[in-house]
Amino acid sequence: MGSEIIVVIVVATALVFDFTNGFHDTANVVATSISTRAMPPKVAVAYAAVLNFVGAFISLEVAATVANDVVSVQANSVGLLAVFAGLVGAIAWNLITWYFGLPSSSSHALIGGMVGAVLVAEGADNVFFADGILGKVVVPGIVAPILAFVVGGLAIVFIYGIIGRLRPGPVTGGFRLGQVISGGLLALAHGTNDAQKTMGVITLALVAHGTVSEANFHVPDWVVITSATAISLGTYVGGWRIIRTMGSRIHKMDAAQGFAAQGAGATVIMAASHVGYPLSTTQTISGAVIGSGAAKRVSAVRWGVAGNIVLAWVLTLPAAAAIGGVTFLVTRVFGTGALGPIVVSTAIVVGGSVLFARRSREGAAPGVVPAPGVSS
Amino acid sequence: MIATVVDWDAILQVIWVSLLSGVGVTAAWAFALLGWTRALEYGRDRRTGEAVIYGAVGVVGLGVVLGAVVFGILVLIGD
Repeated sequence: MGSEIIVVIVVATALVFDFTNGFHDTANVVATSISTRAMPPKVAVAYAAVLNFVGAFISLEVAATVANDVVSVQANSVGLLAVFAGLVGAIAWNLITWYFGLPSSSSHALIGGMVGAVLVAEGADNVFFADGILGKVVVPGIVAPILAFVVGGLAIVFIYGIIGRLRPGPVTGGFRLGQVISGGLLALAHGTNDAQKTMGVITLALVAHGTVSEANFHVPDWVVITSATAISLGTYVGGWRIIRTMGSRIHKMDAAQGFAAQGAGATVIMAASHVGYPLSTTQTISGAVIGSGAAKRVSAVRWGVAGNIVLAWVLTLPAAAAIGGVTFLVTRVFGTGALGPIVVSTAIVVGGSVLFARRSREGAAPGVVPAPGVSS
Repeated sequence: MIATVVDWDAILQVIWVSLLSGVGVTAAWAFALLGWTRALEYGRDRRTGEAVIYGAVGVVGLGVVLGAVVFGILVLIGD
């Protein structure tokens, strides 16, 4: 019975993480469409939420990577506690960085938390540092934003070269129409990559519980449906925050740049999802936006965003890993039953509520809405 | 060490697919806009030949975009 309660807590925690992922990333997905007026804000948010949901169903390669290639857990209660502690490490790090306005990546926090927790729980043999973390997380994670930068830059150079001296009116209208396609693809790509990370973690917990066999690995349908629902709900709810802050924090870009940036971000994320790479979608989209801005006018780019990506890289993986490891040790103090996860979950809810309350009193968190990286 | 643990074939696949589709699709959309805009302008001036040629450019550009989007989604669904 104890392990069933832990599984329920792990699944609930993973879905909360998924919801916050959608909530946090709405800005990346819809800001460009809204700022170029390609779509009314409410329509853009609803459109992104629906395509996030659909995107979660179209591939399972990333889920397989997260569940099989990064860490391995024993099929026992210690393995379950490790998955729980990894999730807590990711959520806690996201809360801390949100509170202090530090750059972060939910994806890297999730991977880092899992690595730290499994390292402490099961030892280094169960963490696949070379093939998994270096080969499937770190190197692709470095390549993706740079690639998106290059694709976004080249795309806008080609666009300006082709449209030449056409009258701006029809061209702007045409690229706004194009953004309906590119924005939709970006939301689809986001759902494909980010929702699958949660699916992978839940499936890892089911392997630890013995519900899913490692030899006959598969992602159960209910995991796909609940993960897709959580991220799309997060995207929808997060969108209302974006609508409220529109005009003050999101900087303008022209419709052609928005189209190029969304197209570049979507193609890089989708190509990476195809081969199973769990990327930071935030960093990839930021790279595409910076690239499309730099190709037009280098001075228009907010290069601080690029610096934030580097800082997030340096901080997130080790910090989330440390919190995941410590969380496992704290959880184990209460034995291998459900008491540890209940106590730690309660502590996270209380701690998170305190941070939200304090931040609400102090005003909005710095950087609460990630700016696309290009100023007008 | 990196040379041996990284699946460079997969990385290269991501790179060339992203470059081809990201740049290709956006360029195709720009050609579609160019084609339609010019076709309308020449049509208004009653220069039918040029209008038809640019209209064809617009149709091909739009076809490339829609084809690439559908193809990409089908590839992902096939995973």
